[in-house]
Amino acid sequence: MNLKGIKMGDIRKENSTGHDMLFTGNMRIKSSKITRFKKNTAAWVAIVVTLGIAIVVGFAGGISQVFNAIIAGGMWALLAMGLAIILGVMNVPNFAHGESFMVGSYVAYFVFTPIHNYLTEHPSRFMSAVGPFIGFIMAFIAGFVLGSLIERLVFHPLRKRTKARWVMNAFLLTVGISFILSYGTNLILGPNFRGIPRYWDVKPLIILGAHMPVDRIVAFLLAMISISVFWYFLKKTKTGRAIRAVSQDEIGAELVGINIDFIHTLTFGLATALAALAGASLLFMFQAYPTVGLKPLYFAWFVVMLVGFGNVSGAIVGGFIVAFLQTATQQFMGIAWEDVIPTLVMMFILIVAPSGIFGTGVRGIQEQ
Amino acid sequence: MLKVERINAGYGYLQVLRNVSIAVNDGEFVSILGPNGAGKTTTLRTISGLIKPSTGKIHYNNEDITVLSTHEIVHRGISYVTENMNLFVNMTVFENLLMGAYIVKDDRRVRKTVNLIFDVFPRLAERKNQLAGTLSGGERKMLAIARGIMSNPKLILIDEPSLGLQPNLVDSVFDTLVKLHREGITILLVEQDVIASLEITQRTYLLEKGEIVLEGKSEELKNNPHIKNVYVGI
Repeated sequence: MNLKGIKMGDIRKENSTGHDMLFTGNMRIKSSKITRFKKNTAAWVAIVVTLGIAIVVGFAGGISQVFNAIIAGGMWALLAMGLAIILGVMNVPNFAHGESFMVGSYVAYFVFTPIHNYLTEHPSRFMSAVGPFIGFIMAFIAGFVLGSLIERLVFHPLRKRTKARWVMNAFLLTVGISFILSYGTNLILGPNFRGIPRYWDVKPLIILGAHMPVDRIVAFLLAMISISVFWYFLKKTKTGRAIRAVSQDEIGAELVGINIDFIHTLTFGLATALAALAGASLLFMFQAYPTVGLKPLYFAWFVVMLVGFGNVSGAIVGGFIVAFLQTATQQFMGIAWEDVIPTLVMMFILIVAPSGIFGTGVRGIQEQ
Repeated sequence: MLKVERINAGYGYLQVLRNVSIAVNDGEFVSILGPNGAGKTTTLRTISGLIKPSTGKIHYNNEDITVLSTHEIVHRGISYVTENMNLFVNMTVFENLLMGAYIVKDDRRVRKTVNLIFDVFPRLAERKNQLAGTLSGGERKMLAIARGIMSNPKLILIDEPSLGLQPNLVDSVFDTLVKLHREGITILLVEQDVIASLEITQRTYLLEKGEIVLEGKSEELKNNPHIKNVYVGI
């Protein structure tokens, strides 16, 4: 086939800071990236403003405030990532995501507390160090099982029945699920707050002059590791690529042989598991009670709206932006304004840049 | 190889196909022609499992695939290159090709097929790191066909490959199809370009308003008065 000499109206977008394709003998590839960063001034403004906020907060409140913001950022990023991927792959606006967080908190509580009580009778340095992680793992598993069940029992039948008015139907269903989960928990376990003072009974570490409790450090590291692992999973593994494919073109994915039902269940399960993990790792900060998920839900949605629906990589950055915004508000206006200012910002974003500061398309996971 | 038996299919309350029966034998190059809205795409969608017929059966290699889901049908060796192409727009050309080989277990085989594709479509090779969403129309068609080949299918369903392409590109696309057919792949082609289609295929069905009205060897249908009148304008 000779196609030389054919002139076609080529649109050549540059690979700005993209990595080049590596095609090694083992079929391992590093995909090239087209960053929309450089072309998107709103995004750059947001990042610069955030850095500015970080510096100001650092000076006014001390470095520990900056660390607090970073830790909160990790949590919001974890939650928002799950939300973004559910939106991107299944086109479901999940308003029950906070309940996944709650389930993680409860599971961690009911797994860790007996271990903790046992350890007071039979101290063991090993178990004291490892105990909380058992709670984290159980929370992750519980989240995955719950998410998979919800997808199979609720969204799978809906998909089979009709695709009409999908977004509204799915949204309403998630609200119902949220009700059932939070009020059900209230019914069965009561409204009491169940918390723990701390996971690890050790002295806070001193980092850059600030006293950081070990619990917070671990929570942050866990969030960062989870995000990295999940990112690697999406980018490099076959199943991860399949998930991305489904989010970009579901029919195309079907036509290359991907099992759509399986991908949907897996995606919802993983996103729920990540939220549950967040809840578990932060039990020392957010006690387990039926409506603990409301605030995480709210801020996760804020992040998703800020960066543009379905944008998974943006959700990670957005988590930190929102966290710094929160911390700055707390710092300079008092804790009462903590919810007001972010809400105002969200309203502003929706009016000025409704597809988000990083967003271009509405569906699909955008890779940057 | 493929036996479509009296299927009735449509979308919701709209019935499109009426008792449509089609057969494609191993190694054949068959086409379905017809005007817009006749139901050609619906036929391919039904065969590939994207929509289910209300009545009728589809047999592939003597297996009843009527109720199978699309991914199961793809696993059995049927590939469908849609009119919309359904490319993964935020993945590169290369990643799209890799995704096309999703069901292929053998890495070496995938690599071989990729190299073959790049030989046959040098344009795609040039742009292998480019996002599929930034390709021109002709390049997308090529990528769609290439992706369809990646799964090493036994039967390829192709929907209007010439649509929207400039004439010299249309030639190369049809050239590719002929080449594929010579490699032993069975092809079911849906086309509006009657002349070209009759030239390259062995047998042809004519679909009008959801019904098969004509069927025969492409060579003979070239002289069919109805076809000449309505579709070639002689």
